[in-house]
Amino acid sequence: MSFLLNHLGDFGQGVMVTLGLVLLGAAGSVLLGTLLAALRTSPIRTARAVSSAYVLIFRNVPLPVQMVLFVFGLPVLGIQYSLYTSAAIVLVLYTAPFVAETLRAGLNTVDRGELEAGRALGFGPMASLKLIVLPQAFATVTRPLGNVFITMVKNTSVAALVGVSELTFLSDKIAVDEAQPFIIFGGAALCYLVIGLVIGRLVSAVDQKVAFSR
Amino acid sequence: MSTVSLFDPAGPRAKRRHLLLEILTALIVIAGAYLVFRVLYDKGELSAAAWAPFAESGLWALLGQGLWNNIAAAAVGMVLSMITGCLLAFGLVSTHAPLRRTCRVYTDVFSSIPLLLLLYFTSLVLPNYGLKLGDFWFLVIALTLYSGAVIGDLLRSGILALPPGQAEASLALGFSHVGTLRLVLLPQALRSMSPALVSQLIILFKGTALAFVLGGYMELLRSATVIGQYYTRSLLQAQFVAALGFLVVNIALGALAVALERRQNRLAAQEPLPVTAAEPAPVPAHR
Repeated sequence: MSFLLNHLGDFGQGVMVTLGLVLLGAAGSVLLGTLLAALRTSPIRTARAVSSAYVLIFRNVPLPVQMVLFVFGLPVLGIQYSLYTSAAIVLVLYTAPFVAETLRAGLNTVDRGELEAGRALGFGPMASLKLIVLPQAFATVTRPLGNVFITMVKNTSVAALVGVSELTFLSDKIAVDEAQPFIIFGGAALCYLVIGLVIGRLVSAVDQKVAFSR
Repeated sequence: MSTVSLFDPAGPRAKRRHLLLEILTALIVIAGAYLVFRVLYDKGELSAAAWAPFAESGLWALLGQGLWNNIAAAAVGMVLSMITGCLLAFGLVSTHAPLRRTCRVYTDVFSSIPLLLLLYFTSLVLPNYGLKLGDFWFLVIALTLYSGAVIGDLLRSGILALPPGQAEASLALGFSHVGTLRLVLLPQALRSMSPALVSQLIILFKGTALAFVLGGYMELLRSATVIGQYYTRSLLQAQFVAALGFLVVNIALGALAVALERRQNRLAAQEPLPVTAAEPAPVPAHR
């Protein structure tokens, strides 16, 4: 069992790096995803086209491909960041379309009559967006958005492809060194399960806060 | 897909404003495109020299073989995970509690473990147990472990969303429990879940690119990297072409999923009785 103690520090570090990627990825993809959703629902045709094109491309090119292209390909153009930063950026670029699509689906669930009623009651466009549309859209979107983030937790492992020492990368390294793959991969799987469960709980809590009866 | 308009029809003033914004966005887009072009051009990435290797047919054969390897792994993985998924779905709706719980634990665990971790696991552990398989099978087994769990859960919700009368009628007609599942419930669940299944196929296809880590398996991303090693001048070009290959296949599969969903909705509209959903079907998402 001594090898477990030896590598506990490594494991902890891996979990921290993974959590860091999750937090950065979530924050970044919410920002970019909201921007994309806003562009997508805007009355400006060019903005809509830009948003759709982005979603189409970045959602359909696999994350490993984007990761490798960003880390090994772009330095050719003189665009180079640290591995961790690159992994976080790619994670945001890849996850943002899913966030945007989820938000858009949430906006779509708001009945048109709600807007008309708001208009009739004298709400301006911004006020009706802020007081009528967004609260309802947010309530329907919490759970799907939580699923997007839980998927993103799994996607952080792709950073291992380019050598970011996160949980998956470190477990592979330790497993190769120690020839105890069952325990090590089991431990890593457990960590991912726990992170996923915690996020699931958080989402449930938020969902109950914003829930309302239609 | 349609988006509700959050705005009233524009009046003359708003129309002028929109036109202005339209021109402004177009200018920003053009400036951005020019910037990208400028960087690529200055680094010589658009020059004939950088694209010269692509005149050789051997290189295209390598890329084609790579894409084919991705498709083959995704296809075999899909078939196997459909089989495990169906079996798991039987377990998940079974009345036998221990079996149901075991299947539940399996689906919950394997659908929340990263595919890459499973791939590392299969490629490290299986050889230790005398399974001298190729990288192809490590990839396919990892895909099946993960995707089987997801499909099992999908089919479970498909089965539970069917009207209870289906199972009752089937049992009343003398079908056994297994026969009811296999001949009555599963075919309907497979049909109603077909868009989500295609989405899962897209996830599988994207996942095959992870075989990049195995090094020996010549999937498209690895092929592009190998080309980049031979023709150091053309690394970015090769990766770009590889990304394009993935993009095209995924867009085609995505279009198929949308078409299936449209057909589904059309059929649902023709149904005489409203289908009472015991549980809302999961939103098909491809990631």
